Amino acid sequence: MHTDPLSATFAALADPTRRAILARLSTGEATVTELSEPFNITPPAVTKHLKILQRAGLIVQGREKQWRPCRLQPQPLKEAADWVEPYRQLWEQRLDRLEDYLRELQIKRRRK
Amino acid sequence: MTRPQERLSKPFTITRVFDAPRDLVWQALTQLEHLGRWMSPAGMEPVPGSLDLRVGGVYHYGMKAPNGQIMWGKWTFREIVVPERLVVVINFSDAELGVTRHPMSPTWPLSTLSTTTLTDEGHGTRMSLQWQALDGNDEENVTFDGAHAGMTQGWGYTMDQLARYLARLQ
Repeated sequence: MHTDPLSATFAALADPTRRAILARLSTGEATVTELSEPFNITPPAVTKHLKILQRAGLIVQGREKQWRPCRLQPQPLKEAADWVEPYRQLWEQRLDRLEDYLRELQIKRRRK
Repeated sequence: MTRPQERLSKPFTITRVFDAPRDLVWQALTQLEHLGRWMSPAGMEPVPGSLDLRVGGVYHYGMKAPNGQIMWGKWTFREIVVPERLVVVINFSDAELGVTRHPMSPTWPLSTLSTTTLTDEGHGTRMSLQWQALDGNDEENVTFDGAHAGMTQGWGYTMDQLARYLARLQ
């Protein structure tokens, strides 16, 4: 479905449960059972979310152990943030400049 | 103003309070000479565009990067309520007003609906800016929601956690 990696990352992040799973994994490895507990959803539902996260390259699931713990792969997250941040910043900067400009305009008006 | 059969994504909002009267903020938002003063990002030179402030009219603007490349955008006015509400459809554009894709993301929605609302706040003005993907297909809406969910609430928390996580790895 997703042709470029950035869109796959955004698609994976569009869901609040998946964002919560990532936040949990940023504190350390966790198994599917451990991940399903705090979110009040069934292990199969967690597995579905994990597959989407895995396809986006955001997590890896260990093969060696029977319980296959999940681990965060931060690189795509960083790439997505690097892309999103400038867009938000663009508008914050525009509004900063607008604020200065409005001040300038009012000083000019008072002088008239 | 939503039109029938139109598909809109969840909104992303930024709010700012300006120490200026509402009519002045409105002018800064709707007049060409004013827009040129604040729309171009730092390091980008505004390129003189055009503005036709009526429903269906267009504001066409360019931003020139230090390497000489010009990025064009356009707003098509959909609703104009002086001095309180401006609804525009935003597109990436070319020099001839043609609609183009986001230069960095092929699944970014082609059109974004932006609603700006001005209200009095003491002696100043509160500006609320809201963006929604307009008529995006599922993939585009998902891209937009994912990016904006990240911008508004997700990133703060996730990125803090990530920073700590990366610090531990080093």
